[in-house]
Amino acid sequence: MARRLLYIITSILIVLFVSLQTSAQQPAVYQVKRMSFNWNGFSNISPVIVKDGIMFCSNRRLSGFKDITGYDGRRLYNIYLAEKKDTSEFRKPRVLKSDRSNKFNNGPLCFAPDGKTVYFTSEVETGKIAENKNFKNHSGIFIADLADNGTDLISIRPFKYNNPQYEVGQPSISKDGKYLFFASDMPGGQGGSDLYYCEFINGDWAQPLNLGPKVNSSGIENYPYIHPSGKLYFASNRPGGIGKLDVYFTSLYNGSWEDPFLLPEPINSTSDDFALVAEPNLQTGYFTSNRRRDDQIYEFASTIIRKASCDTLAENNYCYRFFEENAIKYDTMPFRYEWKFGDGTNATGPVVEHCFRGPGTYIVQLDVVNLITKKVTYNEKTQTLVLTEIEQPYISAPDRISSNQKINLSADSTNLPGWKIAQYYWNFGDETIAVGKEVEKIYLKPGIYNIQLIVSTEPESGGLVREACISKNIIVIRQP
Amino acid sequence: MKLNISIYKILLLVLLLGFPLFVELYGQPVPGKDENIPFLVTFGKDGLTSWGDADFYQIFFFSIPKDYGKPFYIRVFDPDCGGENDEIQGEFNTKTKFSVYGGKGVDPEKNEESRGLLKGVGVNYKTGNLLASKIFGNEAKYDNKYYSFGPFNPSEGDFNTRWNSNIFKIVCEGISGDDGNLYRYFLSSDPNNDIPIEGANAFTYSYHFRMWNNFKSVSHIYPYIDTGIVYIRQSNFDWDIDGNILVVSRYKQGIPVPISNQDNWVKSNIPIEPQEVGSSLDFQFHKRQEELVKNNNVVVTLENQRGDALKFFSSPIGGVPVYQPKLGYEKIKPKK
Repeated sequence: MARRLLYIITSILIVLFVSLQTSAQQPAVYQVKRMSFNWNGFSNISPVIVKDGIMFCSNRRLSGFKDITGYDGRRLYNIYLAEKKDTSEFRKPRVLKSDRSNKFNNGPLCFAPDGKTVYFTSEVETGKIAENKNFKNHSGIFIADLADNGTDLISIRPFKYNNPQYEVGQPSISKDGKYLFFASDMPGGQGGSDLYYCEFINGDWAQPLNLGPKVNSSGIENYPYIHPSGKLYFASNRPGGIGKLDVYFTSLYNGSWEDPFLLPEPINSTSDDFALVAEPNLQTGYFTSNRRRDDQIYEFASTIIRKASCDTLAENNYCYRFFEENAIKYDTMPFRYEWKFGDGTNATGPVVEHCFRGPGTYIVQLDVVNLITKKVTYNEKTQTLVLTEIEQPYISAPDRISSNQKINLSADSTNLPGWKIAQYYWNFGDETIAVGKEVEKIYLKPGIYNIQLIVSTEPESGGLVREACISKNIIVIRQP
Repeated sequence: MKLNISIYKILLLVLLLGFPLFVELYGQPVPGKDENIPFLVTFGKDGLTSWGDADFYQIFFFSIPKDYGKPFYIRVFDPDCGGENDEIQGEFNTKTKFSVYGGKGVDPEKNEESRGLLKGVGVNYKTGNLLASKIFGNEAKYDNKYYSFGPFNPSEGDFNTRWNSNIFKIVCEGISGDDGNLYRYFLSSDPNNDIPIEGANAFTYSYHFRMWNNFKSVSHIYPYIDTGIVYIRQSNFDWDIDGNILVVSRYKQGIPVPISNQDNWVKSNIPIEPQEVGSSLDFQFHKRQEELVKNNNVVVTLENQRGDALKFFSSPIGGVPVYQPKLGYEKIKPKK
């Protein structure tokens, strides 16, 4: 209870802090919480978000007495399902069984888009030699079907690029099922464990490709996770991190992976932090850390507001094409079409284009001159156009900027008649926010960022607070 | 309130009943009132085609509604060739024969030969039973006056089920001479007066007519667009580059068609929109404004994409088509 109270107070303080810093760019703020299903003294790693709860890997005892170890004497990892009891509590985890249970390490894992096909890490069998105490099997990826009971893995088959000479594991499949990311120390990489991907072409996985030197360093890169948004999260112990393994993400921009972005504390710590997964809205998720000695799974929650449903900014557009529908069917017509747009401007032709200056009521008039009889038919047809501004919060910002360039963003053109707006909240799409009608921003990395402007009113009668969200993409190119 | 409703009902009834009457009342004058054509024209067979008559005969059909049972007359105004109205070439020496036909073989929908468009040896457009005929020369007693053929019994016609009418035919031939006989018809229930027959109409497949001798008058002809037509092929003869021909409908503001010079035919295609089927087009003949062309006689024929000739009704089926402008607009991206 006391912990929950502390959590709420902290959240309020953070919001207050953000509110006071109008115009200021704010760092991302995350709350992290250790999951209840962790077992102290055992390793609990690699959470996967599934419909009913969380799947993860652990080398915990299967029961109070039963302890399964491999040939090397170490406890074997198994895959577990911790089903949600309610929105905050989990039931006691159940182990997933398969032919490989109790024989090999199993996990981490991921699901294909069908929700039934499981790709999981296990060990590549090497025969009798594996029985040698000092021998350690290399890991490989295996593919199985999740049985209807939800806890049995059946029809297990190996991934075609497994190799007893090196490690292949920690799979993650893109939401369209076309790309499989994994970690491997196969020859030809950047050093240590690297990230690779295979593309699904003509019903089969194509040759693995290294993600390249921007993503892979000479150190360790592992635990890739491709989020539905396209962001690729992974762990690395490269220099520049907070300590040991840290969680980074990168995105594809113009066909190449961008420089990885280090997630801030408290997700990352001076200990190993890895295997991050997130809900589609990126507001919550899970990761693994050994900050409390053992590998344990933590939940993170962003205090940044980001709406899952947010309208795209529509530009006010008062430009129209007018035409005489029958006239445009024929090439030669002995008529002259004279248009009066009701704003003092005219144009001539069967098809004309005109941009009105702004909102208003315009009576567009078409006069037709018969070039044979010279007869003028005034007002042959009229059309009343009522042009109004779109009712929406408005983001005034450039469409394209350079990285490290300071830009001003304004909500001054917001058109929400009758709204007494109390707060303008900006989410810049790079895990930073600001509050205020006019704010400044510097993007550090190239990419396409989706800015959200969320406006909310003062409490109205009955305490109702109205809220509206609008979004706009901004392209950040590399500073020349 | 009740009174108002009654008035509306009466008005509606008058409109519903009266509108078709109004449209058809002018069906009997040939050329029709809406056509604004001064005269039909037929030259003596010794004339030159360059004078505006391609074949020296003209055929018109009259449709008499089945439920009209009284006798009727076909009155010919100025049937002679001489005196006023007619076009003299040297001296008046032309004889013109008017012949009225009824009975089997007249209906041009059943007998293509009857239309008068087929040419060649053995082709006979004088099909049906000859009911009456008369030859006119240069005769003052018919000059600028009517001659009435009839009385005819409507049942003597060739019955057409589609139009639910009895069809009669009148053929005007220039049997000798070279002058131009200018004349008009009137289908009447009375031999001495122009009394229209309700629901009757007149049509032809090849229109030979005289243009006005002034700049301002615009003549019209109204071809009927029957089911299945996707385009029409117009042919005009001996237009003498006398201005412009525009095709108008509810969906065409005025499509120009190429026009002929002296003694030649010009043909072109005009697309037909689905909405135009079952109504009439308005072929407008606008005189050249720069220089007045006098005594201009022209011929116009139309056929559909299959080569079938189209009818020109003196009283346009569906009424005179009036162009309905259609203003469209759409949003466009602003130009940066």
